[in-house]
Amino acid sequence: MTLVAAQIVNGLAIGMLYAVMALGLSIIKGLLNVPNFAHGALFAVGAYVCYTLSTIGAPFAVALLGAFAASAIVGLLIERLGIANLAGSSYLLQVLFLFGTALVIEQSLVLIYGTTGVSLVPPALLSGAANLGFMFLPRYLMFCALVGALAIVAVWLLIEKTKIGSRIRAGIERREMVQCLGIDIGMLLTLGFALGAGMAGLAGGIALPLLGANATSGNDMMAIAFVVLVLGGLGSLYGAVVAGILIGVAQSLATLVAPAASTLLIYVIMTAVLLVGSKGLFGER
Amino acid sequence: MASINKNLLALAAVVLVAVAAPLVMPISIANEIIVIAIFAMATNLVIGVAGLYSFGQAMFFGAGAYLAGYSLTAGGLGLVPSMLIAIAGGAALAGIIGALIIRRTGFYFMMLTFAFNQMAFYVVLVWSGVTGGEDGMAGIKRPAIAGFNLDDRGTFYAVCAVLFVASYIVLRQIKNSPLGLVLEAAKENPRRTTSLGYSVPAAQLTAFMIAGAFAGLAGALYVLLYRFVPIDAISWVMSGNVVFMVVIGGTSSMFGPIMGAAVFVWLQGLFSLLWAQWALLFGLFIIFVVFTLRGGLIELFERLARLRRVREASHG
Repeated sequence: MTLVAAQIVNGLAIGMLYAVMALGLSIIKGLLNVPNFAHGALFAVGAYVCYTLSTIGAPFAVALLGAFAASAIVGLLIERLGIANLAGSSYLLQVLFLFGTALVIEQSLVLIYGTTGVSLVPPALLSGAANLGFMFLPRYLMFCALVGALAIVAVWLLIEKTKIGSRIRAGIERREMVQCLGIDIGMLLTLGFALGAGMAGLAGGIALPLLGANATSGNDMMAIAFVVLVLGGLGSLYGAVVAGILIGVAQSLATLVAPAASTLLIYVIMTAVLLVGSKGLFGER
Repeated sequence: MASINKNLLALAAVVLVAVAAPLVMPISIANEIIVIAIFAMATNLVIGVAGLYSFGQAMFFGAGAYLAGYSLTAGGLGLVPSMLIAIAGGAALAGIIGALIIRRTGFYFMMLTFAFNQMAFYVVLVWSGVTGGEDGMAGIKRPAIAGFNLDDRGTFYAVCAVLFVASYIVLRQIKNSPLGLVLEAAKENPRRTTSLGYSVPAAQLTAFMIAGAFAGLAGALYVLLYRFVPIDAISWVMSGNVVFMVVIGGTSSMFGPIMGAAVFVWLQGLFSLLWAQWALLFGLFIIFVVFTLRGGLIELFERLARLRRVREASHG
């Protein structure tokens, strides 16, 4: 029983990572309608920036903020210099551009950090396990779930409760109308992409003490985030959050039964959802 | 009459490519080009003709590669059965996955092909007892066929060249067939095509399976060429690479992807000679291509030709 409880908490933590990753994709999809194939590379950027900042002695919180900021800046450049200039051309070219960018980012990371990958011990405050009375819970897992949840709430507040957020929502719903109202849609798209990219970076930073990182480790995460997005339903911005957490918990529980097949389970769930022809938890708008 | 002549001319050009390539470059490079070109042409049927932006074609190429590799080693089968298994496997996998996702459009289709590709990669990675996992599948031999020794590089090239030209003919016929026309119509306007009485999903699924079969064939030849299956053969990067080939070559004809494959194989060779981090240069090149040759090489040539015509007209 405690094993199951432990796996559920573990699943919540991992699921929160998926949710943060997928919410970023979801925002980018909503605004720009392009599958961000550089999302995995941006995840890796976040992980490595977090690693570098931690090794030079920055507090872990600063390292996480740095991870978010670095990926957001890279995302900002990708949108401003790349996607914005390809807006009129074919969808395929935009995707190919993102693929090329992902290769460049990953290989640059290999160039700087080597191929072996890095790992990080969480700060003393977050290491070890907390005694909950009936079980011991790794502190870092709780932290992971907490920071993920905080990030999601922060994005929710930003999008639902601020002026810029209402513009982003308007941009997703009625892009032309937003333009007609004299709002700089180009700037909005850049900011939205930067926000989505930053969330990938933050997920990379949080995941570092948990999973370690190498230049291509973001691609597994990206694939899972795509699946989460499909399961959540493309119509809803927040469907990805619910789907991410569910997937994380399901995957963690599956490790109790068949450890090797737990990742495969994600795809099995996806296939099942496709088979019943469902449009995901929250449907297409 | 004119179109028949044009078709013959294009066929002659493809045969010329197959014959001349080993004369002007190392035969191993020429061989890789014509094998990868089969993969690129098959992908063009999906991306260019049907307008289905698949980002997971490597799973069919990889499936063909692993099936052929397994049949030849542990399976102890001969050349022809192994290749038939690879082709059938590619088509069957495309049939299963296509049946699940063919009705999903645009963004959905792209994400799902990518996700299934990653799943295939994961299966290969974890099932290392059979596939060799990260190290790939080694120890593959080229069996002799009908008295021909395929270990001879020239003979093996000739076999690949025949299959390459045959693939071109078949895929071009499909592109120009009623099926191809339905696909192109559906690409422009799926609703109108449906209302004309054509079953769009059935046509698209057929194309997806045909592309899977030819990708499987290409995968099998790739394995025979290198006597080894690298796990990269089934990775999403391979899927991205073949999209690159199709885009750089241009999607308007089946000749474009052949040129795209040639450019890709050459660049890969050139960049890997220059620097171990060749993928970085390749990524930069993709970005460069996206911004400069927006319509692919063929369209660039068409644009240049148009420019010349305009100039001639103004002079004349």
